[in-house]
Amino acid sequence: MPVAAQLCVIFAVCLVSEGLSALLPFSFPASVLAMVVLLLLLLCKALKPRQLQQTANFLLGNMPLFFVPACVGIIRYTDVLFQNFWAVVLISLLTTPLVFFVTGHVVQLTLKWVRRKEEAQSHD
Amino acid sequence: MIEAFLSSPFFGLTLCLATYLLGKWIQNKTGWLLANPLLISVALCIAVLVLLGIPYESFAKGADVINWMLGPVTALLALGIYNQRKILKQYFLPVLLGCLAGSVTSMLSVLALCKAFGVDQAVTAAMLPKSCTTPIAIGIAESHGGLAAIAAACVMIAGVTGALCAPLFAKWLRIQDPVAQGLATGACSHALGTTKAREMGEIQGAMSSIAIGVCGLISVILSLFLSC
Repeated sequence: MPVAAQLCVIFAVCLVSEGLSALLPFSFPASVLAMVVLLLLLLCKALKPRQLQQTANFLLGNMPLFFVPACVGIIRYTDVLFQNFWAVVLISLLTTPLVFFVTGHVVQLTLKWVRRKEEAQSHD
Repeated sequence: MIEAFLSSPFFGLTLCLATYLLGKWIQNKTGWLLANPLLISVALCIAVLVLLGIPYESFAKGADVINWMLGPVTALLALGIYNQRKILKQYFLPVLLGCLAGSVTSMLSVLALCKAFGVDQAVTAAMLPKSCTTPIAIGIAESHGGLAAIAAACVMIAGVTGALCAPLFAKWLRIQDPVAQGLATGACSHALGTTKAREMGEIQGAMSSIAIGVCGLISVILSLFLSC
């Protein structure tokens, strides 16, 4: 697919998702909805990953660039940031190993359970 | 002349791209984790605006164009999830339960600590998705009235912590299984952690990158039930 067509498809998916997001009774981010719509299009073979390749390579390969404007926007809220600075840093640091711990152990327990079940089945 | 210069959208566009490219170049040269292109670009943009006394609105004229592309970038994350559908099927239950547990833990612990520290509502909403990948975190934060920049900052702190400490966490917290190590790394530190997970092993890398998409989706759904 030519790059213009790839962009057209992706923009259309985003546009439809903005509409869907406005229709939903709760606030669901339109960008994530667009991801779900695109995933569904891929799963039902309406689109092939190869057809979006050039655009995806460029956009995903330079992902951090697209966060720059939102992050620079912090200069409008310096008072809020400074008031909460240490709490924000501390909470972000503390909760990270906690998430690692819980996820890791839940996965290990699930794997143990799944493997035990598979073994039991193979013995039957 | 200066007037025309600052009222042009090309000012913000050029500044964003030039500082980002410089950041990328510095990271390639040094290889340091903290020489992150996003961090460098944001710091330089803010420095230029503050030092030259340029109003944010002049910058936003061009920067908004880049910001709009955040939607398409997020949509394209679907490709990553799609490409991993085979391995996702193979480990469906551990992935689903692990990511669900991780996302619930992350959001509830952040919410509880924010309440305990008396953090502002706009900041709390921005911190909730801090374990998600940045585009999804910004989406969740903004749909709950949180500040996108704070969301991105917290995501980065979580990512850098995981990228630096994942092997230590695995050892201290007794996570020995490579599948569990990978999912745990991806669940707490998304894409930045995944770079470390790839160093830990092939399975860890694959599982970590699966956790990014799955945790993102679960977190969006969870955030619907959390009001702060």
